[in-house]
Amino acid sequence: MEIWNQLLQGFATAGTPVNLMWAFVGCALGTAVGVLPGIGPATAVAMLLPITAKVDATASMIFFAGIYYGAMYGGSTTSILLNTPGETASMVTAMEGNKMAKSGRAGAALATAAIGSFFAGTIATIVVTLFAPIVAEYAVRLGPPEYFCLMLLAFTTVSAVLGQSTLRGLTALFVGLAAGLIGMDQITGQARYAGNVPELLDGVEIVLVAVGLFAVAEALHAVLFEGKVVESENKMSRVTMSAIDWRRSMPAWLRGTVIGTPFGCIPAGGTEIPTFLSYATEKRLATGANLAEFGGKGAIEGVAGPEAANNATVTAALIPLLTLGIPVSNTTAILLGAFQNYGIQPGPQLFSSSSALVWALIASLYIGNVMLLVLNLPLVGLWVKLLKVPKPQLYAGILIFATVGAYGMRQSAFDLFLLYGIGVLGVVMRRFSFPTAPVVVGMILGPLAEAQLRNAIAIGEGSALIFLQRPMSATLLLIVIAVLLAPRVIKMMSKRATQGLG
Amino acid sequence: MGALRSLRYQTLVGASVVVLAVGLAVGAMGIPSDAGYSGVGPNFLPWLVSAGLLVCGVFLVFEARTGGFRDFESAGGDEKPYWSGFVWMSTGLLINAALITTIGFVLSCALCFVFASRGMRNSQGQTAGGLHAWAVDLAVGLIVAAPVYWMFTKFLAINLPGITQSGWI
Repeated sequence: MEIWNQLLQGFATAGTPVNLMWAFVGCALGTAVGVLPGIGPATAVAMLLPITAKVDATASMIFFAGIYYGAMYGGSTTSILLNTPGETASMVTAMEGNKMAKSGRAGAALATAAIGSFFAGTIATIVVTLFAPIVAEYAVRLGPPEYFCLMLLAFTTVSAVLGQSTLRGLTALFVGLAAGLIGMDQITGQARYAGNVPELLDGVEIVLVAVGLFAVAEALHAVLFEGKVVESENKMSRVTMSAIDWRRSMPAWLRGTVIGTPFGCIPAGGTEIPTFLSYATEKRLATGANLAEFGGKGAIEGVAGPEAANNATVTAALIPLLTLGIPVSNTTAILLGAFQNYGIQPGPQLFSSSSALVWALIASLYIGNVMLLVLNLPLVGLWVKLLKVPKPQLYAGILIFATVGAYGMRQSAFDLFLLYGIGVLGVVMRRFSFPTAPVVVGMILGPLAEAQLRNAIAIGEGSALIFLQRPMSATLLLIVIAVLLAPRVIKMMSKRATQGLG
Repeated sequence: MGALRSLRYQTLVGASVVVLAVGLAVGAMGIPSDAGYSGVGPNFLPWLVSAGLLVCGVFLVFEARTGGFRDFESAGGDEKPYWSGFVWMSTGLLINAALITTIGFVLSCALCFVFASRGMRNSQGQTAGGLHAWAVDLAVGLIVAAPVYWMFTKFLAINLPGITQSGWI
């Protein structure tokens, strides 16, 4: 009952005209950045972080959540209509969605993606509503040793499990941690790696790193390598679904939601695994003519399931962010940065100390989902026009927004040079297939993890054994080791098995 | 030939990680270890990160020398980089950084827009288009930059540099 009252309070806050306006602008902007190639929700939120200096916390979090959410809806539009290899999150949608669009069923694909996103997003928001307070209540009992181990787990999964290579993931993580070291040490105030540059004493702004790695690197990469890439656009058709489409989509949405939600809850991040899992499930469950459509004419289940899984994961990822303060993706890492700009540290106390803010944010998720359904079903034609923006203007425009984000934060031209440097670094990383998420997560979470580590060891009176003495932290450490070793062991065993057969 | 070259670049990437690690270690030597109440001081994480990067860097070099990075699929395939476009865009970004405080956000960003767009146009192999294309880019650059500037300075009251104090340009 208490949850119900708080949620109603949240709706009251989120439902004021001003906050509704922020939610709407966020959703619209989010859809736009989702549709536009070359710019994603992480970049968009990062570029707009300077507004945290003026706009109040509740409004801006509602705004950012709208962008976060809207981009998921918009992304599917692009992956269905455009024949380019998209980003990982929408890659699975593109597999079947593209085929459907080619066989003249773009409208049905868009509809099932939007309605599925709405369905999964709403269910996952209910899960957040019900479970986040419980997790928070439990998390209050966690001490620094447990926190440190949780963060270690987040580092491990984001760098070692996702992506092609553990080695490159870890390298990226350490680069991020190194970037997080620059500036004043949180506990003692000791300056580290600042040289004599006053700008560096405050640390490197997360905006710079995020915008540099994503936006500037994207533009530079495009000019270097993608000039000759020819894009073709699939033809739109009426955005409706037939009765059969509904009957085939609904179970797929449900399964996608069930698969996606748990993946968001654990600090294992990323939408790649749940969307692929959902796709594989749908393909295995399909029979007869429906199965034949997979990879051929395009099966609607192959769009409905992964899209639902994607949105469920993304929404549920708010649970670890809000209750533990642990981000598991680029965008949630930057949302954490936004909270920090307000001097708010997400974590178990958030539900008691900033209860109004949290519940307004959760309520805005419900509202945002409805807004996005409207924005994406009847108005999808509007967004499709964005795909017509010519590449030169698109990337040049992105650079203007990158400038706003980077300069607006600290009003320093030094940051713009730094931004360029980080952009070049981003191109190199992309060229050699280093993932970028570990850099951002490492940079944001690094200083927090360091503080927890030092507090933990202080509790252990100078001994690191404290991590093994407490059952919870010892268990977490075991999980970390398992996460690191399991893929290798499985690989070795399967190798041996195939050798044995040969 | 291409493969060998790319292996050399991979080695270079690994080596730079090693250099970064050594740099961090050198820096870490200057950080006091005074731990106070907690068992570890401000120099602990720097040493740890430096060691981690060193190990990663050595492994990267090792991989590069023994057949190349594992599970490596270069984004965008093997096409040749288009350096001239890169130079255009870089110039735009650096000019922007250098001039933003003197000529203001709107003009500086519009310049950056023109340069970046030019690089991208060239990379797509568009024929120069003469004066017309330049004019279009400049106009579009101004049309994008100016409202952004107004929105941030007037509506959100965030300071962006202008050529005048009016907040309009």
